[in-house]
Amino acid sequence: MKRNPLSITVGVLLLVIFCLLLFTFQVRQSEVGVVTTFGKPTRTISQPGPYLKWPWPIQKVYKFDQRIQNFEDDRFDEVLTADNFNLLAMVYMGWRINDPMAFFTKFANGSITEAEKALRSLIRTAKSAVIGRHPLSDLVSASEAEAKFTQIESEILQIVQSQVAANNYGIEIEFVGFKKLGLPESVTTEVFNRMQSERQVLISKFQNEGEAEAAKIKSTAERKAAELLASAEAEATRIRGLGEAEAAKSLATFQQHPELANFMFRLSALEASLKERTTLIFDQRTPPFDLLGAMQTNQLQK
Amino acid sequence: MERSAQKNAVVNLLAMLAVGVAGYAAARHANCLSGQVTSFYMGLGLLVAIISWFQLRLAEREQLEKLEFEELTRTRIGPSLFETGEAELFPARRAREQFERYFVPGFTVVLFVLEAGGAYMLNAWLSKVPPTPMRQPTMAMAFFGLFALVLFLLGKFSATLARLENNALLRPSASFVLLGAYLTFAVGAAIAAGQAGFPRTDFYIARALCILLGVIAAETLIALILEIYRPRVKGQVTRPVYESRLIGLLAQPEGLVTTAAQALDYQFGFKVSETWFYKFLEKAFAKLLLLQLAVLWLSTCVVFVEPGQEALLERFGKPVPGRQVLGPGGHLKFPWPIDRAYLQRTEQVQSFTVGMALEKEKDLPKTVLWTISHGKEDNFIVAGRGLQQAAVTPAERTNAAAPKRSPPVSLLAVNIPVQFQITDLLAWAYSNAAPAKVLENIATREITRYLSSVDLGAVMAHGRWDAAQVLRERIQAAADSRGLGVKVLFVGLDGVHPPVQVAPHYEKVVGAIQQKQAKILAAHADAIKTNALADARGFRLLNEAEAYRLKRELNALAQAALFTNQVPAWKAAPSVYTERKYLETFVRAVSGARKYILLVSNTEDVVQFDLQDKIRPDLLDLTVPQSR
Repeated sequence: MKRNPLSITVGVLLLVIFCLLLFTFQVRQSEVGVVTTFGKPTRTISQPGPYLKWPWPIQKVYKFDQRIQNFEDDRFDEVLTADNFNLLAMVYMGWRINDPMAFFTKFANGSITEAEKALRSLIRTAKSAVIGRHPLSDLVSASEAEAKFTQIESEILQIVQSQVAANNYGIEIEFVGFKKLGLPESVTTEVFNRMQSERQVLISKFQNEGEAEAAKIKSTAERKAAELLASAEAEATRIRGLGEAEAAKSLATFQQHPELANFMFRLSALEASLKERTTLIFDQRTPPFDLLGAMQTNQLQK
Repeated sequence: MERSAQKNAVVNLLAMLAVGVAGYAAARHANCLSGQVTSFYMGLGLLVAIISWFQLRLAEREQLEKLEFEELTRTRIGPSLFETGEAELFPARRAREQFERYFVPGFTVVLFVLEAGGAYMLNAWLSKVPPTPMRQPTMAMAFFGLFALVLFLLGKFSATLARLENNALLRPSASFVLLGAYLTFAVGAAIAAGQAGFPRTDFYIARALCILLGVIAAETLIALILEIYRPRVKGQVTRPVYESRLIGLLAQPEGLVTTAAQALDYQFGFKVSETWFYKFLEKAFAKLLLLQLAVLWLSTCVVFVEPGQEALLERFGKPVPGRQVLGPGGHLKFPWPIDRAYLQRTEQVQSFTVGMALEKEKDLPKTVLWTISHGKEDNFIVAGRGLQQAAVTPAERTNAAAPKRSPPVSLLAVNIPVQFQITDLLAWAYSNAAPAKVLENIATREITRYLSSVDLGAVMAHGRWDAAQVLRERIQAAADSRGLGVKVLFVGLDGVHPPVQVAPHYEKVVGAIQQKQAKILAAHADAIKTNALADARGFRLLNEAEAYRLKRELNALAQAALFTNQVPAWKAAPSVYTERKYLETFVRAVSGARKYILLVSNTEDVVQFDLQDKIRPDLLDLTVPQSR
């Protein structure tokens, strides 16, 4: 029976690969490993490199990322501050595995999800407890020097660290930080209303300032106009008076023959007074209509 | 031989069941999507294998029955024994016919529903499932490799067996077993690709398998429809309707090659399939394939780092001393899985945005207004500095021990892009599992902290640039303290404005300022007009007065001169002169007046005049023109 050498080579190669896959494993620089024998953790691998193991199901390798894990509580929790202010707070934390064996046994064969579930409860409790001890002004303050943002984070970190250490979770908490602060929806609406009112104050201020300023400008202008007119009228009166004074000088001429002068003045007055629409009723004695009465034809028949 | 086929059918069935269950468990454990989809194929194959085995059993019973009948025919005692109906004579044949007539189409309909429903459901599931890193991929790869090997050997044997006469019913399960071998091999390859730095390969293969399932479902439906119209010829051996030609083709591609060779022979008019080149290809195909795989594996000895990138080189998981970080260019390394290179964008500027998730740039309008939402707003709390200072009473200001008042808070919508560059790849890659996310959280934290104590007006206007600088420095300091190995290049306050609900009121303030200015300007205009008119009127008054004065003076002088000249005449004839002047003046004066002249002798008569003005003049009121 002739054997194909290529088939044998490929078969052996595949067998070698399969054996390598079953008997060896690698741990990366960023990883730590736990080897279990028949389910019991027997070896911790903390250095990177290639390692031997018995094939499954005798030994099984669990590898964990030993770098800092970023955990973010995706829930925006409503908490109450010491001065009874409802606040939404979201935090994040950095944690790492410092004892792979303890981590493996505590969290369902080293489930990151399980670990984060436990951390989620811890961080939420710590967050609510610490914020509840501080007034809102410690988080939100007009003066940065008065705010205790970092201090509150440190307090949360201490609580979580002490809990993690006490329970020997096999992990350590590196940092905790506030990712986001917010307000509940109903409060947000009221804040919007207040912000609108603030703007309304400014709107009213500017509008009324405009009115007032305009009124002042107009009033000043009117006063100036009145002053100007008053001065002009006074000057006009003075000028008229000069005219009157000059005119009065000619009265001496008239006074030489007052009878004629007065007669002439009356005539002028008569002429001037009859310039407008006038109805005159004369009888026949008024000259020159007396001529009418003297005419024969106009005399009444007796 | 039939017994052997039946046994093989049972082995196929059991293999399909075992690989299906074990494959699903391994795929679930390793978070392998293509493995889970493949296990669905195994489930379908199991159903087909069961039906195929059952049909084989029926065929075998029919065969036995036929042999018994022939035996009885040869040794028959009398004719009365076989005078019964055919159905009673051949119950096994009747059972097979009934099975093929009713059960097989019914099963094929169920198979179609499962294939189509499976394709749809798996596709929908793949669209929703989040990308999850694989767990223990090496183990999963080993398992799927083993499954592929077992199924391939078994499938090849079954396929060869199915080519024999009367074993055609073994073909559907054999095809499924071979297809299973290829699919599990593809799953193993997908896992290997994931390990080699292409984690989405698993997803794409899973998606491709869903599409293939849909195509197979379509083929099953077409086969069902054609089965209705297929002419039935008695005694003709028919292909089971549930057997997929497509699966057969995929499972045994050499059939396709044979068909192609026949087509080529026909087209060229000579035996192309008998040429040396074709024969060489046919013989060396496996070797060429292996060579190709070897070249592919050897290609992992070279890594090319593109400009703007750096690569981390690890040997058995450990950074290679002296060559931990590889710069742009080509580099030699040991083949996978001894050395592995992880590429990272280091020189390239990377960015993320804190706050509002803006719409795509192309969807944004040319003019971006505060009052129109242009993305999902993310409001940050800002202390109302002015309001807080106003709210504090003088007593509180002087008394340090007084409890602090809760500050009035405002909200601000921000859109802050942060640009960064990786400066220390080792720190970036080895200190944090998700360094980009940590940097984003740090940036968001610093922005939240900064805005919580910033002056709203300042950060929106004149303090914007300073705020950006302060934020950049703070984010850099925080990133350094976390050992991220990045340089924060730029923090921009692209969009900082009040929320959309409040923004119109900000614009109204601007409107009010403009109104104020307009009113003041209008008042200035009025003032100018008033003053100018007053000036003009004053000027007119003065001129009138001057005119009056002049008139009075000249008139007086003229009248005096006239009077002086009248005196001699008057002196000469006082009564005549006066009478004449009177009459002259009278004529002039009364010329325009309405005159009534009474010629009455009796002065006691009462004369009545209606002196009221007429609204409408009549013809008699016409003015008589003066005679010249």
